[in-house]
Amino acid sequence: MFPYPEASWDVVDGAMFMGWGTSLPGMTTVIAMVICVAVLVIGQRSEAAKAKKFDK
Amino acid sequence: MEEQLAELVAKVAELEAAGGGAAVTNTFFAETFYYLTIPLMIIIHAGFLAYEMGASRLKNVLSSGVKNILAFAFMIPTFYFFGWWVYFGFPTGIPGAPGPNGISGVEYANAIAWGWGDSAQYMGPNIADQISGVFFGAFALFAATTASIMSGAVIERIQTVGFIILAVTLGSFAWVVAAAWGWHADGWLVQNWGVHDFGAAGLVHAVAGFFALGVLVNLGPRIGKFNADGTANHIPGHNMPLTVVGLMLIIVGFFGFLMACVVPPGEGWSWFADKPATIYGTPITLSALAFNILMAVAGGIIGSWLFTRDPFWMMSGALAGIISTASGLDIYFPALAFIIAFSAGIILKPCADFLENRGIDDAVGAVTVHGTIGLYGVVMLGIWGAGYPSLQGAAGEAPTISLIGQIVGAVVFFLLGFVPGYVVSLILKMLGMLRIPEGAEIAGMDLVKVPAAGYPEWGGDAPVTPAHPAE
Repeated sequence: MFPYPEASWDVVDGAMFMGWGTSLPGMTTVIAMVICVAVLVIGQRSEAAKAKKFDK
Repeated sequence: MEEQLAELVAKVAELEAAGGGAAVTNTFFAETFYYLTIPLMIIIHAGFLAYEMGASRLKNVLSSGVKNILAFAFMIPTFYFFGWWVYFGFPTGIPGAPGPNGISGVEYANAIAWGWGDSAQYMGPNIADQISGVFFGAFALFAATTASIMSGAVIERIQTVGFIILAVTLGSFAWVVAAAWGWHADGWLVQNWGVHDFGAAGLVHAVAGFFALGVLVNLGPRIGKFNADGTANHIPGHNMPLTVVGLMLIIVGFFGFLMACVVPPGEGWSWFADKPATIYGTPITLSALAFNILMAVAGGIIGSWLFTRDPFWMMSGALAGIISTASGLDIYFPALAFIIAFSAGIILKPCADFLENRGIDDAVGAVTVHGTIGLYGVVMLGIWGAGYPSLQGAAGEAPTISLIGQIVGAVVFFLLGFVPGYVVSLILKMLGMLRIPEGAEIAGMDLVKVPAAGYPEWGGDAPVTPAHPAE
């Protein structure tokens, strides 16, 4: 996953993170966004279900 | 003409003076950068102190604190006496031959890391060497962190002196060997296997976590932790808010810990003239740390909240987030760090339950948070970071990160933690120095060990309840 053709730091003069120049950064960003939304949805559902048990 | 020459000479002198000033400024900045990691890392200890005391019952709160404070106090001198020497002496393994970078081996360590003879000039105030003490201080704080990690796991039943012996074994020897092998440009794990562990997920966290596991096997659970049928009880600490704030303080301190993994540029001891480097001599930026640490903290919290909703596990998830990405904080993409941290937050509690269901009473989940997640982080980097050069050098000459190499590193770190922890605690057990007697444990360790009361006007402990009520 080294984003340069030669496995040497001597050739690195810019972005040095995994996946630079591929679709990985964009894909992981989208996945991270989906995780945030999904966790909020699940959290809301389960909290609402628990709160209902206390309704009189 | 003469006037012009004189002006020129004066100008050159002025420029030289300005250049010298800039060099001094850089030197002082570089030293200050590293020096400031020391107080920041002491915040880790404030955090562990609060976390452990909060997780203790009222009757044990001060003795847990005393134990933690003493571990810190003994770690510093023992690391000065021999830990620093071990780090430089054995990167290439035993018997301590010099490595290719010329900054390792027993002969080198003898010349710079003993507090006596000629070597003592580098182990005390010296106008010609203004950096050795700063590096020593940061490494001593790494050592103290390992002791604090183990400290939380063994609360409420360990003897003080036995604990200090274990802490010294871990902090001034076991993790130092791991650091020499896997966190040094001459380390054999780095040179031969391309092991990369920038933020010490394996060589600090996993070593300390599995050292704690080795101790817990011999120490045994607290009275009342397990029922006759083997089911576990939850023994609540006396102050969850204190524990949670303590965990947050550890997060703050970790910015200093990870800052200390960066070598500033432009000095005789720097890797580069113009850019900061990791301890391996590979480039890194503070920007990488800011992006990735923050995303990892967030991912860990969100992952652990999803299934636990428990602030203790959420803040432990924050720690797990950092630890799971620590090996590659220099090269991860932030969103990828978030996803890895999120997964660590999710697996955290099930991993802790796995240990608990096997009769291990880890009072604060240290084995899981630091040990299991530490190894998880080391291996994750092998999956995502394969192909990255582990050191400086031309392509084909510098070793590269690989999954196999990271797994080898993980196995070595596990053994360097578990084996010394198990063996030394077994010896202490045989000598009657490991566990406090049953009567004293039931009465409370503060009554035995501390001539003061944590909360003199308060009542008794919270009730012990089943750890897994649904089972």
